Amino acid sequence: MSFPKKPGGKALDVLQNLPRITLANLRPEPGARKTEKRRGRGQHGGNRSGRGHKGERQRGNRPRLGFEGGQTPFYLSIPKYGYNEGHSRRPQYQPLSLKRLQYLIDLGRVDPTQPIDLTQLVNARGVTIQPLKRDYGVQLVDEGADIFAAKINIEVQRASEGVVAAIERNGGVITTGFYDPISLGILIKPVPFFLRGQPIPKRMLPGEDMVPYYTDAENRGYLADPEKIQQARLALAKKYGYILPDISKDELYHMLSMRKDVRQIFFGLAPGWVVSMPEKKILKTTDEKLLKYYSS
Amino acid sequence: MAASMLCKRTAMLCRTLKGLSCSKTVLSANSQSGFLLQAASYNPRPLKLNLHEPYVPDKDSEKTPEWQKTAKYDRKLFGRYGSASGIDPASLWPSHEQLDKIIAEEREWHPPLEVMLKNIEAREKQETEKRLAKERLLAANMAKMPKMVADWRKEKRETKQKLKEEKARRAKLLAEARERFGYAVDPRSPKFLEMVAEIEKEEKKKKKLMKRRLKEEQVVAPVTPPAASS
Repeated sequence: MSFPKKPGGKALDVLQNLPRITLANLRPEPGARKTEKRRGRGQHGGNRSGRGHKGERQRGNRPRLGFEGGQTPFYLSIPKYGYNEGHSRRPQYQPLSLKRLQYLIDLGRVDPTQPIDLTQLVNARGVTIQPLKRDYGVQLVDEGADIFAAKINIEVQRASEGVVAAIERNGGVITTGFYDPISLGILIKPVPFFLRGQPIPKRMLPGEDMVPYYTDAENRGYLADPEKIQQARLALAKKYGYILPDISKDELYHMLSMRKDVRQIFFGLAPGWVVSMPEKKILKTTDEKLLKYYSS
Repeated sequence: MAASMLCKRTAMLCRTLKGLSCSKTVLSANSQSGFLLQAASYNPRPLKLNLHEPYVPDKDSEKTPEWQKTAKYDRKLFGRYGSASGIDPASLWPSHEQLDKIIAEEREWHPPLEVMLKNIEAREKQETEKRLAKERLLAANMAKMPKMVADWRKEKRETKQKLKEEKARRAKLLAEARERFGYAVDPRSPKFLEMVAEIEKEEKKKKKLMKRRLKEEQVVAPVTPPAASS
C-alpha cells in the first residue's frame, strides 16, 4: 500500500514545528469553564447574599414543600385513583434503542458475528439491569430503526413491532425470551455465579399473564410455533414494505439459527452442570433422578 | 526518531479510521478473514482467587465459626478453589430428599405449559361468554325498544286526551248549569250534582233508544238481503 501524499499533511507540519506543550501554552476552550457563584462576597454577592428581604425566605424558615398557607394543598385536594397501585410489583424492562445497539456494534463492543444475548449486552456495558428492582430484562425500542444496518441474532425480553421489522429487514433474527429473576441474576453476572459452586438451574416458564405474550408469533416469542413465526415474518415484511431476505442462503445461517432451549440459560451450557472456574472444567452429574429433573 | 514514531502513530490512526468507517458494510468479509478490528475490547476483571494459599477451614475444630461449616460455604469453597478445596463434588447437587422437595414445590408453584395454556383458554372462554351474554341481552332489549317507545307515546297521548275530554265535559256541565239556574253554580253543591244526575239519566235513555234502533235496523237489514237474493 503506497500513500500518494504524506499522511497528516498540515497537521504533521504543525506538530513538528510548534514548541513543546507546557502549562503556559494551554488554555481551556471558551465557555468550557464557568466561574462559580460565590455568595456573601463583594458588592453584588454580599449584603443579603441572594436570600431576599426579611420574612421566612431570608430567615430560612419556609414551610414544607407543597404547603399552601393553610389552603388544602393541590396534592391533597385531588382524589386518589389506582393509577399507581402495585407499581412496585410491575415488571420493568430496561429500554435499549436500536441507535444505541448500532453504536455498540460500530464501536466493536458487541460482536455481531455471535448471537447477542443479555450477557453480551451487559458485558459491553450497553445496558445495566437490576434484577432486584423488579427488572425482568431488556426491551428493544424503535428509536434509530431507520439508521439500523446490522445483521444480528439477538435475544431480548420485549420488542416492539417496528424493532422486529428493522432487524428482519437487515437479514437478522430476533427472539423474545423470558428469564425468571434468579435466572436473570445468573445471566447478567455469570462469573460470580460460577464461583458460587451451584449447579446451573433450569429457567422457569413465564407466569400465566406473560404466557400469551411469549407464545405469540407476532412478538417472536420463544414458546411460539416456528411455522407461525415464518408466516409472521412474511406478513410483517408485507406490512412494512420491504423484501424479506432469505437467511437460509446466508453464510452465517448456522449462527443466525442458534436459539436457546426453553430451559437453557447459557448457550453451550445445560442446566445441572457445575462450572469450575479455577480448573476450567465442567462437572456433570450421572444420577438418573437428577438428570431427569434437570432435563424436564 | 520522533518523526518516524509520529508517522507510525498516524498510520495506525489512518488504518483504524478506515477500518471503522467501512466496518458497517464489510462485516461479513471480516468474519471470513477472521480479523475483526475492535476499537474496544472486554477485559474481564482479575478474579483474585488466591489459588496458591487456599483457606480451607478445619471442620473438626471448635474455633472455626459455624457458618464456615455449612454446605453453602462448602459450595462456595469449591467454586473458588475447585478440587483443591478437598470437597466432594457430588455434594454440590441436591440430595434425593432435597430433590423430592424441590420437585414437589415446582409441581405446585410452576405448572407446566399445557396446564397454563388450558387455564388461559378457560378464562378467556368464560370472559367471552359473559361478554356475549351481555351483548345478547342488550340486543334483545334494544329490539323491544321501538315498541316500548310507541306504547309510551300512545299512553301519553291518551292521558292527555282524557284530560282534555274531562275538562271539556266539566266546562259543558258548568255551562248547562249556568243556563238552567241562571247563576254560576259551585260544582260541589248538591244542586249541581242533582242536575248532573238528571243529565246522565237523559243520556242513558237516549243511548237505549239508539241501541233499540240499531237492533231494529240490523233485524231489517238481514231480512231484506235474503228476500232480495231469494
